[in-house]
Amino acid sequence: MRSAGRSWLLLTGFVVFYIIYLLFGGLVFSTIERPEEERLRHELDTLKQEFLNHSCASAADLDHFLARVLQAHRSGVSVLQNSSQPSNWDLTSSMFYANTLVTTVGYGHSTPLSDLGKGFSILYALLGVPFTMLVLTACVQKLLFPLVVGPVAVLHGWGVAPRAACALHLLLLLLLLLLCFFIGPAALFSWLEGSWSFLDGVYFCFISLCTIGLGDYVPALQPGQRNKSLYQVSVIVYLFLGLMMMFLLLRAVHKMADVHGLTALLQLPRCEVSPDDEQRPILVTSQKTALLQPGVSDKHLAAGAEFKNVDTCYSPVNELRCLVPL
Amino acid sequence: MAAPDLLDPKSATHNSKPRLSFSTKPITLTVREESEVVATVMKWKTVTAIFVLVVLYLVMGAAVFKALEQPHESAQRVAILTQKLEFLSKHQCVNHSELEELVKQIVLAMRSGVNPTGTLSNHISLWDLSSAFFFAGTVITTIGFGNTSPHTQGGRIFCIVYALLGIPLFGFLLAGVGDQLGTIFGKGIARVEKMFVHGDISQTKIRVISTILFVLFGCLLFVALPAVIFKHIEGWSALESLYFVVITLTTIGFGDFVAGGSDIAYLDYYKPVVWFWILVGLAYFAAILSMIGDWLRVISKRTKEEVGEIRAQAAEWTASVSAEFKETRRRVSVELYDKFQRAASIKRKLSTDLAFSAAPELSLPKRTVSVNFNDELEKREAVLQGLTTPLMKKHLFMNGMDPERGDISIIDNIK
Repeated sequence: MRSAGRSWLLLTGFVVFYIIYLLFGGLVFSTIERPEEERLRHELDTLKQEFLNHSCASAADLDHFLARVLQAHRSGVSVLQNSSQPSNWDLTSSMFYANTLVTTVGYGHSTPLSDLGKGFSILYALLGVPFTMLVLTACVQKLLFPLVVGPVAVLHGWGVAPRAACALHLLLLLLLLLLCFFIGPAALFSWLEGSWSFLDGVYFCFISLCTIGLGDYVPALQPGQRNKSLYQVSVIVYLFLGLMMMFLLLRAVHKMADVHGLTALLQLPRCEVSPDDEQRPILVTSQKTALLQPGVSDKHLAAGAEFKNVDTCYSPVNELRCLVPL
Repeated sequence: MAAPDLLDPKSATHNSKPRLSFSTKPITLTVREESEVVATVMKWKTVTAIFVLVVLYLVMGAAVFKALEQPHESAQRVAILTQKLEFLSKHQCVNHSELEELVKQIVLAMRSGVNPTGTLSNHISLWDLSSAFFFAGTVITTIGFGNTSPHTQGGRIFCIVYALLGIPLFGFLLAGVGDQLGTIFGKGIARVEKMFVHGDISQTKIRVISTILFVLFGCLLFVALPAVIFKHIEGWSALESLYFVVITLTTIGFGDFVAGGSDIAYLDYYKPVVWFWILVGLAYFAAILSMIGDWLRVISKRTKEEVGEIRAQAAEWTASVSAEFKETRRRVSVELYDKFQRAASIKRKLSTDLAFSAAPELSLPKRTVSVNFNDELEKREAVLQGLTTPLMKKHLFMNGMDPERGDISIIDNIK
């Protein structure tokens, strides 16, 4: 009963803290953005007035026209330049759209206009989102071994304490991720897209890889973009790889939290491993001979069983503890 | 049974077993027989197969979207261009380039969320406290509508930092809510199951019925009801409301439809209620999506099992055939050996009877071993395992022969 009451308490605590966090965020955004918005609106009004002053168009007519233009723009159709524009729904652009749908990024730069398109989007998303999550977690599980277990074991082999090895490895992974998936691509994007600054590129990478996908910056949409199809396909690949790395990072952080007892403290669920995954021995060369000695085997049996009982997924500290012959 | 992965609301569909899908079995813990610690990974083949499937799924979706949407897009474009030409022809004094410039500015402003229609005074800011609160909510839940987005450098940097901290926080919250939701539903469904137990219905049927009930009830509460409310308040069509609900609750969040984003006079508590609905609905959808993921996984596992079964059967068949073959070989060799032995002993008897010495050509090239062949099968296997040399020596060395040196070569020759 105590644990049930405690979990309710924790939940209410979380909710309250969440509300406070939201309020705080709202306040800060409001203070930062509102003056800018005022300024822009003023500018626009002056522009409109100027236009109306030396033209014969009435305000009502212009408003009506502008409303239609904006509605079309929201659907991705631009009225500028009579010249033919590449469609938003050719094959690669549609694939880009489908990709934003299944990865749940959802930029919104192009959205389905027809009713049938909307209906199909619903079905497509309901099936495609769990599918994509399955793929991403499968890949992450596959990568977990060479990218997390291996290096941590190597670090431990060099004589670093288990917990410190985990933390150090996490830091290294974080730095690698930052370099390869934020800084590098941001520079590339700011070069490819003329009007983006480096910070805009970083902002875009972050918003995309967290799957927030506000849609204020979307690559490959500049008019006259060369190699648009190739560009869009490479952005799809980048999104996929980046999401995989984010999941990997989250998994590593989750394990760290497990190891340091945070999840137990907050009574949150540990991750699980499905029973149909294959089992693979961990390659730790120096310790392996110790394992095969008959005297140690019983302890390892017990330790292994206990390890399976407590945390059925990879936990570097547990495994390293198991590997040390006692 | 775990709620969705707590640090990312979207990874809820991975291998966690939600207590809301009642088709899961408890995980049996197997104590490893070897003394090695192992890590579990998915096979490469599974991963590549799933990856190829996803790519195919994307391509298929792209083709369908293209077929559905391109005609509409062209129609829209034609319509808006006609409008522009009409406007220009109606108001002759308007300069074409000036109009283009104005439209460009307005489009930019629109992306900043400023609506240029109407006048300055009657505007509701997009960054007043409640809207900013809503925006913060969309960032943390990773929905990210995008109808409002930060435009200052400071706003963007703060957005990044805010999301970095807020997304895991929301993940925790979602896990907690999902757990509580699961408990509530579980209790309700247990009560329903108890009613059914009195009847003679099988366990699986009860499970299936309870899952379906849960899905339907949740759909009613979190999808159908809000869709009706949105249709009524926002003035969307039924499909558009449903579309908005699904796009929001899967956290895709396009932003073409946003509850509370139009120029309607909303009630004061409208936006907070929408936010609360998003929270609980997200937990529900995470459970649904992970259930779908579980089904996909079960299907793939069943296919794997069937393939595995076929492979196991083939392996069994090959093993039995080779065992039979070995057995036949052994029997034949033993029979031949026996026959030869008998022939040799008869010959020896004849020769001793006739006082002849044994013809050298009849003797075996190597000296034979007269062995007690009663447990020959075990001996064969012992020879194969290579560990029973002492055993062999015990049996066979009464004649001083060493089988290792090839004294059983008669049998090897027959082989």
